[in-house]
Amino acid sequence: MKFIVSSTLLLKQLQAISGVLSTNNTLPILDNFLFELTDSQISISASDLETTMTSRISVDMSEGEGSVAIPAKILLDTLKTLSDVPVTFDIADDNFAITLMAGEGKYKLAGQDGQEYPQVPPIESDTSFDIESDILFHAITKTIFAASTDDLRPVMAGVYCELGPDHTTFVATDAHKLVRYRRTDIKTAEGASFILPKKPLNQLKHILVQDDLPVTVEYSDTNARFTFKNIILTCRLIDGRYPNYSAVIPANNPNKMTIERVPFLNSIRRVSIFSNQTTYQVKFKIAGSELTLSAEDLDYSNEAQERLNCHYDGLDMEIGFNSKFLLEMLNNLETEQVMLSMSEPNRAGLITPVDSENEEEEILMLVMPVMLNS
Amino acid sequence: MFERTIIHLDQDTFFVSVERLQNSRLIGKPVIIGGLGDRGVVAGCSYEARQFGVHSAMPMKLARNLCQEAIFIRGDMQTYSKYSNMVTDIIAEQAPVFEKASIDEHYLDITGMDRFFGCEKWASGLRQTLIKETGLPISMGMSRNKTVSKIATGEAKPNGQLQVQPTLIHDFLDPLSIRKIPMIGAKTYHTLRTMGIATVKTLRQIPQEVMEKMMGKNGLLIWERANGIDNSPVQTWSQHKSISTETTFETDTIDIIHINQLLAGMCEQLAFRLRKKQQLTGCVTIKIRYANFDTHNLQQTIPYTSFDHILIPVCRELFRRLYTRRMLIRLVGIQFSRLVRGVQQLNMFEETPELINLYQAIDRMRNKHGSNIIHRALTSTNPNHKP
Repeated sequence: MKFIVSSTLLLKQLQAISGVLSTNNTLPILDNFLFELTDSQISISASDLETTMTSRISVDMSEGEGSVAIPAKILLDTLKTLSDVPVTFDIADDNFAITLMAGEGKYKLAGQDGQEYPQVPPIESDTSFDIESDILFHAITKTIFAASTDDLRPVMAGVYCELGPDHTTFVATDAHKLVRYRRTDIKTAEGASFILPKKPLNQLKHILVQDDLPVTVEYSDTNARFTFKNIILTCRLIDGRYPNYSAVIPANNPNKMTIERVPFLNSIRRVSIFSNQTTYQVKFKIAGSELTLSAEDLDYSNEAQERLNCHYDGLDMEIGFNSKFLLEMLNNLETEQVMLSMSEPNRAGLITPVDSENEEEEILMLVMPVMLNS
Repeated sequence: MFERTIIHLDQDTFFVSVERLQNSRLIGKPVIIGGLGDRGVVAGCSYEARQFGVHSAMPMKLARNLCQEAIFIRGDMQTYSKYSNMVTDIIAEQAPVFEKASIDEHYLDITGMDRFFGCEKWASGLRQTLIKETGLPISMGMSRNKTVSKIATGEAKPNGQLQVQPTLIHDFLDPLSIRKIPMIGAKTYHTLRTMGIATVKTLRQIPQEVMEKMMGKNGLLIWERANGIDNSPVQTWSQHKSISTETTFETDTIDIIHINQLLAGMCEQLAFRLRKKQQLTGCVTIKIRYANFDTHNLQQTIPYTSFDHILIPVCRELFRRLYTRRMLIRLVGIQFSRLVRGVQQLNMFEETPELINLYQAIDRMRNKHGSNIIHRALTSTNPNHKP
């Protein structure tokens, strides 16, 4: 088996999929890229058993067919140092010894039989839908930060996708904060729902471009596959029942504060510098049309207080939050103003964008307060 | 650098003095305070009782044998805390820098004050104010550092004061028994005595290297103390790194149901203390002491919390994993460590508004009427609970 391919083209493809490679693989062969050559096309795969990414490119010249596993680190390191030159891969059919030739250089390394590389699970289902690349990008970035990092609650360590005839909803939560990102322009006749793990979504985020190119999403009970340009990402879904998130979104929130997002964000960021650096708790006191933010760290006698103007409709109230959560949320919104809707100091606060330009997009962020002593 | 001036204030027989304030008939009689069961230990005793050989931390059973005519009192930590805080408040009002070292001990750093007041005059004034305002006897030592001041207080007792001038530190320390140095407990004392070291003078003349070889880092510290060297600062504020509680059973037990109830009760009380102080714990440790005094610990880190309903299952699970030997248990203990300032972050799926309201209502009752006023029904066999 032999083929010639441009070094920069190959490197670009390898870098797009190399994020899947794990540093502590249980199977040694997973430290390799799988190269499969068929009719002047190679498909290159990287996998960690949970997620597999495959990229397909054309080669300049090819002889024979077959598959080989090539050590990922050596190949990447070599390609990174090369300028744009054609690289010849010559693979011995008997022992999978690889010879690379680039310019005046000749490099040898040992490969493995590609047949030993774990197979991508087939998706035995014809359910699929299309989504624009930039919409998927936003759906991922605006939700993934809220997903849990706690291994004890695996179902919450992913983004929940709920497909329906009226809209498509993406939800992430760690039980302290929650984001619901809804698109009314993506509809699927048959309702379905599944939980996507964080790792493949982060990989997708890196390769998606802010464009309206379509991404095809296919899914079954156990797996999902994203096809985008020449890249295919297949991942295992998180098994389990997602918590009933809609039940915890309070319906009646009579106390509504509308405020400029950026000044609000900056105030929280400043005040939280003076909060306890483990719990990051800040207190809001809202009265009339004034918001007072305060924080203190008794251990170091640090204390901060700031006042901001806001538009407030409701009863005077005092409520405390972890400022990290608020910062993440406000950073992931784009509108000039946001609304914080609350009912009681011990109940969830809802953050929503005000006057969003995008009518098909509906974002709701929920943050649980801390229990202030009464 | 100029000479530091450190004051050590120590209440004499603090628990007994408080009891005597409330009941004057106790004055002049031997009084012993501590757990009244056979397994209790002496928490404090009056000078009259000390003549019989009773001292604190002695098993109650032994104290009873030594001094049968003594008046035994169970003691009430809440009252003692109240008086202790009274003392702290007065000191806080007057002193520039102070450290509360224990319930009845305070260190004050009044370095540089002689320029304005005269240290001794100011300190005597403070001591008189404390005695007048609280009615409790108090002893005071004053010198260059914490160790010498503390030893001076010990020599000044009862109800006296002693100043050791920096130039006279050796003259003061040298004739004393090495037992007077705060770091030397029963075991170290024994080791040193077998080497023929009885007085501080002998101790300080031993070469530093010999002490280090013999007792490591501690040896060096002891040597420094014997030479009157102690550079440790008066720490204005020392954070409690952990809070803990333990229960010794009247008789050793393997009644797991009872122990689980007890653990829940202990956990509930500790969690309330956390909430009261606006702290959260990130690490739970369970301790078991078996009948043969083998002691085992097991700990687990958890997300920061101060809620009983999260902590109780953690404690029970740790106990289940730790209790592996089918042997009678003498003592169980719970410790919360990795404490941080903050209040509970609420969880949207597990904590309903009703539950939070319940916590707040219970805590309000406890703040008003004491922490034993209400508790979980499952902990109702808690022996600490006074009906």
